[in-house]
Amino acid sequence: MAKYQAWLGLILALTVAAVVVITQVPTRLGLDLRGGSQLTLQVKPTATIASVGDREMEAVQSVVEGRVNGLGVSEALVQQLGNNQLLIQLPGVSDPEQAERVLGGTAQLEFRAQRQGTESQLAVEQQVLQGHLDDLAAAQNSLPEGAAIPVDAQARLNQIKTAVAASEASISALFEPSQLTGDKLTDALARPGNGTQWVVDIKFNAQGAEDFANLTRSVAGTGRGLGIFLDNRLLSAPRVDVKYAETGIAGGSAEISGNFTAESARDLEVQLRGGALPLPVEVVENRTVGPTLGRDSIQRSVYAGIGGLVLVLIFMALYYRLPGIVADIALMIYALLTWAAFNLLGVTLTLPGIAGFILSIGMAVDANVLIFERTREELRAGKTLYRSVESGFYRAFSSILDGNVTTVIACAALFWLGAGLVKGFALTLGLGVVISMFTALTCTRALLFFVLGLPQFRRPSLFCPGLANLPPRSATP
Amino acid sequence: MKLAVIKQRRLWWIISSLVIMVGLVAMAISWQQFGAPLKPGLDFAGGTRLQLTRSCALTGACSGDVDLTQVRQVLADQGLGSSSLQILDPKLQILSIRTRPLSVDERTQLQGALDAEIGPFDTSSVQIDSVGPVIGRQLLSSGLIALLVSFAGIVIYLSLRFKLDYAIFAIIALFHDVLVTSGVFSLLGLMAGVEVDSLFIVALLTIVGFSVNDTVVIYDRVRENIKLSPQTHINNIVDEAVNQTLTRSINTSLTTTLPLLAIVAFGGQTLKYFALALIIGFVAGAYSSIFIASSLLALWRERSGQMYGDIEANLSTMANQEIESTH
Repeated sequence: MAKYQAWLGLILALTVAAVVVITQVPTRLGLDLRGGSQLTLQVKPTATIASVGDREMEAVQSVVEGRVNGLGVSEALVQQLGNNQLLIQLPGVSDPEQAERVLGGTAQLEFRAQRQGTESQLAVEQQVLQGHLDDLAAAQNSLPEGAAIPVDAQARLNQIKTAVAASEASISALFEPSQLTGDKLTDALARPGNGTQWVVDIKFNAQGAEDFANLTRSVAGTGRGLGIFLDNRLLSAPRVDVKYAETGIAGGSAEISGNFTAESARDLEVQLRGGALPLPVEVVENRTVGPTLGRDSIQRSVYAGIGGLVLVLIFMALYYRLPGIVADIALMIYALLTWAAFNLLGVTLTLPGIAGFILSIGMAVDANVLIFERTREELRAGKTLYRSVESGFYRAFSSILDGNVTTVIACAALFWLGAGLVKGFALTLGLGVVISMFTALTCTRALLFFVLGLPQFRRPSLFCPGLANLPPRSATP
Repeated sequence: MKLAVIKQRRLWWIISSLVIMVGLVAMAISWQQFGAPLKPGLDFAGGTRLQLTRSCALTGACSGDVDLTQVRQVLADQGLGSSSLQILDPKLQILSIRTRPLSVDERTQLQGALDAEIGPFDTSSVQIDSVGPVIGRQLLSSGLIALLVSFAGIVIYLSLRFKLDYAIFAIIALFHDVLVTSGVFSLLGLMAGVEVDSLFIVALLTIVGFSVNDTVVIYDRVRENIKLSPQTHINNIVDEAVNQTLTRSINTSLTTTLPLLAIVAFGGQTLKYFALALIIGFVAGAYSSIFIASSLLALWRERSGQMYGDIEANLSTMANQEIESTH
């Protein structure tokens, strides 16, 4: 008996822990439930760059990340998908059309000379921009994580975004238009310079070298900067030393130094390379769900989940009597544990994910059904109640194991090979199946043996109706 | 009630063959009509789907249903006359349009025109699905590969846990379930315009997982019975095993189908057909486990001269019996 009490204690502790986790750690909702856009971008090879490799993808990703940041969407996510695609998640994006327009297209890298008489203005504008960006970060941090964005917070975000865009435009206006664009840049490389400082080397082709020499000559020693713009956003505005006032920086290669750390130098390198790549990016998939629609889906799925669970609970209690009720308790513990596991592991719940969870309830029930059917058979064969329950568990085990392993195999195939929503389904179903094995084999077992320890429940008729109501025999053979 | 699985095996096979034949005919007709065995949805065929809901908060916006002829007119004006249209509940205020893949500009233009003519639409309940043809092929091939890999994984696992012949017949039963479900959806595609998307492949994989579970439970019992009584003919062993597990098969099918029925009842548009596919597949799976996988195994063992358990199994059974008979 003591053995089961230890198990019961563990189960109780797990259940309490699960409730704490559920209340403390928010459930992460997928874009189909909270509203937002998911875009897949395809990087297209061109005549000059026939194959897109890791180096190219990294560069393009940095360009796209820059554009995503410009959208001012909180919790935006950019990841590489396969060899030549990027997956972008924009939760709560209010204008999917704008997002799609901004994200597609080829990167625009430009080297531009600062206009005369704007020296002080640039510093001021940069400060203003930094202020807006800080506001944006603060506003985004104050948003509830993983949930739908409140309307007033969204309005505030939009307002800051407009201010950022205006500020960037006025910075851009401080620089002359230029012929020196990214296609003339051949390479960029971050490397350690003197001391702890890092520098970024850049190289141009022949035409670029000539343009670069002219450009640097025009700003050398004036205190005006050489603006490096990616997608019209200022990346860096290094000054050119007066010693280049005669010839400009000739030879087509240069070194940008400043307060670079290894990280910031590398950032600039990747952005420059991204800007140098004439790789067009095309939006090949767009899945957008409005926030209201998402809320609707949540509500419907919750109804479906609860409805399904209640039907199953009723069926189990009616058909299997006492063990059915015990299994019902185990099932509710199962549901709590699984939900807590989702929150803890940061599983993003999508609509198919919820369907997977609901299905795993069916799987969890199956284990119990197998055990109880076996118990009834043993009872009918004339065994004692205690031994029947014992061998019910013992004999059903191999069926439960085989059945669950095969389902997990199917889930694993879906998880590794499937994409997007399919992955979410496989993950929730797979996790559910694994947890359900635990609850069926431990929770149900411990609870059932605990109940068997109470004399008033030790009646075979409570386990198998229709069996001759024999007086309870000794519980241990 | 005792099912005579082996005695009436011809009947079970004929029922299955008929259902599969109807499905195959439907797939052939589908192939003629859509160039695919099942009507391909947006995910596989590529295209843009716009779902717009009228903003009913404004007075008068929702007076009357969405006028289809008016929508068609707008579409024709945009050069998208061949698009398909659907009006969805509640209150027939939701418009769903499926077109060829549209660029952002084309889409914005269409949305603007629709908004002016039929709207105003509620911007917070818009749904856009736009899938380029490349992605469509990618989704389809990754789904099919997942299906094949899981088949292979199941064969390997079952041949390790059981014997190869069990694994092969379990897979035949799986093909049966996949064919039946696909056949029904092919038929639904022809008759009700139901399309299949990536969720359908997910459904097939889930059916595979659950149905093999059903088969395994019966095989597990067959294996156990062979060990317990190696002198019994395989036909009787299988019959006995099916009947011993019958209540479990029915109850499990019921408990898995109940939540699915809840999804059909309450779930949104996308999940409805997903749940329906699962229900069909689970029913087919229970059927194939009870009637097909079992009778095929018995037939094979009989034909290949393995009607009785071997000596080795016999010995291990005796060992088993000693452990069992302690009470």
